[in-house]
Amino acid sequence: MSWWSKLTEALSGLQAGRVTLDYPARPRPLPKRFRGRPIFKAEQCIGCAGCANNCPAREILVFDVCQEVRILKYLGRRCTYCGRCADLCPEKAITMSQTADLATDRIADIQQHLELFMSTCQRCGRCFTEPSPIEQLKLKGYRFDDLGNERWIYRSQAVLGRNDAVDDIPLELD
Amino acid sequence: MKPSEILTPIKQRYGTAIQRIDRLDDRRLVLHVDAGALKSICRFLFRDLDARYIAGIGADDRPYSGRFMVAHNFAFDRDGLLASVLAMLPADAPEVDSIAGEVPAASWSEREFHDLVGIVPRNHPNPKRLVLPDGWPDRVHPLRKERPWNDRPDGYDEDRPFAFDPAPPGCVVVPLGPFHPTLDEPAHFRLYVDGEIVRGCEYRGFMVHRGIEKLAESVLTYNDIPMAAERICGICGCVHNVAYAQAVEQAASIPVPPRAEYIRTIMLEIERLHSHLLWVGLAGHILGYDTLFMHCFRIREPVMWIAEKISGNRKTYALCLIGGVRWDITPELHDELDQVLNRLEAQWRPLVSALLEDRNLRRRAAGIGVADRALIKEQGLIGPVARAAGIDIDCRRDHPYAAYDRVDFDVILAQDPDVWGRISVRAREVFESIRIIRQCLVKLPAGLLQAPIADELPIGRIGMSSVEAPRGESHHWLITGENHRPRRWRVRAPTYQNLQGIPAMIRDQRLADMTITLGSIDPCFSCTDRLETVDVRTGAVRVCPPEELRDRLRQRWNEPTTP
Repeated sequence: MSWWSKLTEALSGLQAGRVTLDYPARPRPLPKRFRGRPIFKAEQCIGCAGCANNCPAREILVFDVCQEVRILKYLGRRCTYCGRCADLCPEKAITMSQTADLATDRIADIQQHLELFMSTCQRCGRCFTEPSPIEQLKLKGYRFDDLGNERWIYRSQAVLGRNDAVDDIPLELD
Repeated sequence: MKPSEILTPIKQRYGTAIQRIDRLDDRRLVLHVDAGALKSICRFLFRDLDARYIAGIGADDRPYSGRFMVAHNFAFDRDGLLASVLAMLPADAPEVDSIAGEVPAASWSEREFHDLVGIVPRNHPNPKRLVLPDGWPDRVHPLRKERPWNDRPDGYDEDRPFAFDPAPPGCVVVPLGPFHPTLDEPAHFRLYVDGEIVRGCEYRGFMVHRGIEKLAESVLTYNDIPMAAERICGICGCVHNVAYAQAVEQAASIPVPPRAEYIRTIMLEIERLHSHLLWVGLAGHILGYDTLFMHCFRIREPVMWIAEKISGNRKTYALCLIGGVRWDITPELHDELDQVLNRLEAQWRPLVSALLEDRNLRRRAAGIGVADRALIKEQGLIGPVARAAGIDIDCRRDHPYAAYDRVDFDVILAQDPDVWGRISVRAREVFESIRIIRQCLVKLPAGLLQAPIADELPIGRIGMSSVEAPRGESHHWLITGENHRPRRWRVRAPTYQNLQGIPAMIRDQRLADMTITLGSIDPCFSCTDRLETVDVRTGAVRVCPPEELRDRLRQRWNEPTTP
């Protein structure tokens, strides 16, 4: 019954409707849970580095300039927009925005650079509340991510003790 | 059969060659055996006990036990049992007897651990390079623990050619790939063609190998890896995400809350829906039937939208963490998903009945890309390829995970071991997926999304997980380790086995059937690796060798661009 099957096909084509959107002439409707570009709020951030330590793409770097100033940098290049940073932030300083159209020829449009005044904080990492031991910060003390080369340096002392991941940057261990 | 019933004949036969047997649970076995007996035991499992071969794993265990480790995984589908046969090899001479002669399905796995870990499979029938690029230095094995994740070894020789087999007499070589207009990923098939008929082929792929396993073993942590695992596949990412999480949960004995299990099932089936609709459309497209392609994509789009509403993304759902899921199905989403399914079913049913009665399509697809029962057994082919040949395997039923043991569904089979059978199986599986999601929505229990994890995960435990991807079984095997990351994580995607069946499936067929045969297992390929220049005045043909082409391109690249 091939002619009948062809006819059914033709008929279903007539009542098909369309799913193509008028994008970019009209903005695409985004659902509530859509995760676009993450926005970091400097006034809420306490610099605990929980986001940096649990970013699967290693897109968030932390660097201590001195005792009082900590830099947090979001690189925005290979971010997978998984939203783990926003989930884990104890102060809810990170929101996954609804910004989806991120194509740019200047990466700085997407990147963020936070300068955080750390007051008298001892940077022990205790202000980060991890949901389970899997997320806990293994690191105590200062972070020395390489902001100039946009490199994430190390994750835990346990790793460093065995093999020197970085030999060009002096590190202080407990 | 219980694990004990399978163990009895093995123990009787091999006695002391079996050093230890770990029963991870009623459905998972790990046999620690002598390296010398590995081959014989694998043959016994594969031939006498009729197990299905899943994957081979090589691991560098020197920092922990001072030895190398090799494992071969088998599935007893009728008994719902996964078994790993594991042997330790000395650090100074990591060699093991190849089982590829007895178990042909193990061929790629052995070539892979030779490349990546440097364990030599002795007397392998085809000991060529599989994963590493041609120019990679010989003695550098990236998965050895002393190599860093961002290793760039000295001695990379980009002029080194790959030693392809000589073409059979009377055949012309037609290169297909690495780039081809119809499919998305690079892979190179060297076809030996006699007139119109393909007499054989050699495969060279792994051009987009990204070293995700190495990253997981050296950089990421348990809860980062799901996001990386998801990116192993652009179509069945959620499968890898769930399979990885399940392997860790099994290794660490973390109970997953029932609500999370149901949500995993729903998302996996949503993924199957979109994947099958995409595949049927693409199969139509490859066969020159673009009306079908358009219909499929129109019907598929609402599935993508509802996935985006549930997870925030059309495709990469970022669903699982260890011990649960991240996205809840709220009552509004529940109703909306219900409506999407109703509409989908109403639109898909007439299309499928038209499709399955389409005589033109049937004539084009029947009898090509034949994978008979013997081939499926030998090469360990899985998924719709096996089910189209009437082989009743489906991980969802045979090795139940998530909430599949609490829903009712049929395993769709066909009796045509060809492309037509695969179209028919996939088209009808859509209805089963709809059925599964509906049952899950009705039964969805209240409760937690995440199991509380109070302690650090134990070290040195083995986990195994098989998840039925739209294109077959995805298998994940891992050992938990220090620093919140696995020591070794091995992923075997379904195409890994199915591609190994391609040379036999295209043999003695027309060249024009190559694309749909390859398409029917759901992977990718394509073009020429050299350039011909024709002098238009004299008509002389000069073949430009790859070296010259590359130098020309570089020259062009280095030239200052004119504004």
